[in-house]
Amino acid sequence: MSRDLNINVHHLTRVEGHGNIVVNMKEGVLETAHLSIVEPPRFFEAMMKGRSFHEAAIITSRICGICSLGHQLTSLVATEDALGLEISEQTVLLRKLLIHGATLQSNVLHAYFLAAPDFLNAGSVFPLIATHKDVVLRALRMKRLANDIGDIVSGRAVHPITPVPGGFTRIPEKAELLEIKRRLLEEALPDGVETIETMKSLAGAIPQFERETEYISLKHPEEYALYQGDIFSSDSGSVPVHNYLDVTNEFIVEHSTSKHTKYNRSSYFVGALARWNNNSSQMVDEAQAAAEAMGLKPNCHNPYMNTIAQVAEAVHCILDSVRIIDILIEKGLKNEKPNQTPTRYGRGVGSNEVPRGILFHDYTYDNKGNIVKANCIIPTGQNLANIDDDMKKLVPEIMNKSKEEITLDLEMLVRAYDPCISCSVHMLEVDFIE
Amino acid sequence: MAELTIIGIGNRLRGDDALGPVLIDKLREVDWPEVELVDIGSDAIGLLEHLEDRHKVWIVDVCQMGRTPGSIVKFDPEDADMVLDQDPLSLHGLGLAETIRMARSLQMVPEEFKIIGVEPDSIQFNTQLSQAVQQAMETIVKEISLELQHAAGKPQILL
Repeated sequence: MSRDLNINVHHLTRVEGHGNIVVNMKEGVLETAHLSIVEPPRFFEAMMKGRSFHEAAIITSRICGICSLGHQLTSLVATEDALGLEISEQTVLLRKLLIHGATLQSNVLHAYFLAAPDFLNAGSVFPLIATHKDVVLRALRMKRLANDIGDIVSGRAVHPITPVPGGFTRIPEKAELLEIKRRLLEEALPDGVETIETMKSLAGAIPQFERETEYISLKHPEEYALYQGDIFSSDSGSVPVHNYLDVTNEFIVEHSTSKHTKYNRSSYFVGALARWNNNSSQMVDEAQAAAEAMGLKPNCHNPYMNTIAQVAEAVHCILDSVRIIDILIEKGLKNEKPNQTPTRYGRGVGSNEVPRGILFHDYTYDNKGNIVKANCIIPTGQNLANIDDDMKKLVPEIMNKSKEEITLDLEMLVRAYDPCISCSVHMLEVDFIE
Repeated sequence: MAELTIIGIGNRLRGDDALGPVLIDKLREVDWPEVELVDIGSDAIGLLEHLEDRHKVWIVDVCQMGRTPGSIVKFDPEDADMVLDQDPLSLHGLGLAETIRMARSLQMVPEEFKIIGVEPDSIQFNTQLSQAVQQAMETIVKEISLELQHAAGKPQILL
């Protein structure tokens, strides 16, 4: 069937930083299908130049209100790598606990507030408050616990203050960690089980679309990689983090001010589904069982299932946080001071899995401990080329649908990737009723 | 629970958008026993964790109100038409207007709930407030301090 189709979902942009979907088909031939987005961290290097190693993580944590912890921890790892700062096992465990809290919070919010309204055809989360208030409150309860993990371990959930180069300025009390453990088991776990049931009931509404691509995430020899590891491609295997530029290969495209990335193919996927495809056997058993119950199988090529992988990860984070707290308490919390004596100056690279995918920070320090060069590659930027490739395959497959249905499928596709562009300003616009 | 909760919203790296967090820093320089000070950064949905069981909540944020830069307006969200964000593609879509709408639907809104809005001059990447907004911030700090002293019925250090 030949037809003409023009979709231009142009979101009101009071300020830069929003995405636009553009699709153009003439006589059944797809001419354009892409997402254009502005990449805010392009100011990154200018912001970081000249900053001391004490400041780097504080500034990067403020890039984004949603991803602050991921930026902060990745910045710390890059600085420690550059300055040769060794960190203790306790620091590593506390950082892993923080990443679990941040992943739990972000994944739950995405699944309930952005994806679930799509699956229920509700338009947004607001109609659900009236019809499914208990579900919305459950989501907020899980978010709050995740936030409290951040508060207790990092001093402040939004812009963490105690994690610094070389360790922590304050170590949580045993009683605080035990209280978190109690709430993880008594509140978050039952809520997690209910979440699996909710997602199972919505599974029928997840679009059936398959496109195999390259999946890139970290991989760790001993655990489901969220904090550090090697870069792993589902096509070609491991690459050391130091060689990340060989993987990201940023390039400029005409339709987007944000750079795209590619490795072995024209695009690759980062985020929960990539982590799942590369490392699912390392998730805790209960999370693997949850994934299966929700219809998520290993080597899944449906990008819409990213949300389901996020929910499985939420279960993993709840249970693995309990395991980490047990280890911390068994070993006894030590009131260590951060190690802030550089043993060298030069270049360092940090990489962690943040909720939306693999994140890289790369700094070069002069011998006074000030940054002379900085680079940051965010997950959302790495997914853009993959989203475009998905759209090019998806649009011809659904062209018999109405324009409105096609638009919704495309918006849902973009939302499935959970793009975060909150580093741009979000200003309240007010008209007064006179 | 504290008598008054003051919540600053904004991104410290975006010029005048830093107003909320910077104002919270400034207020923290003095010990206000009955006041809870919260900096929630630029993720407005974090507001939902600071509304329940509070009597009185004031939010400080820059707002596009069509006034001259630095203008201060204290208003009740009920009396204003706050434009809901039309970007449904990311978590970015849940801004302050959406979060307040959600709080209302969940009956989380405290008895007294006010927004202290300031018209920004510039929200480009920058770690400094414009002169107009810097002045507005100082005015707000003074007014809050006076109000707090009045409420406490005893003199405090004037900022």
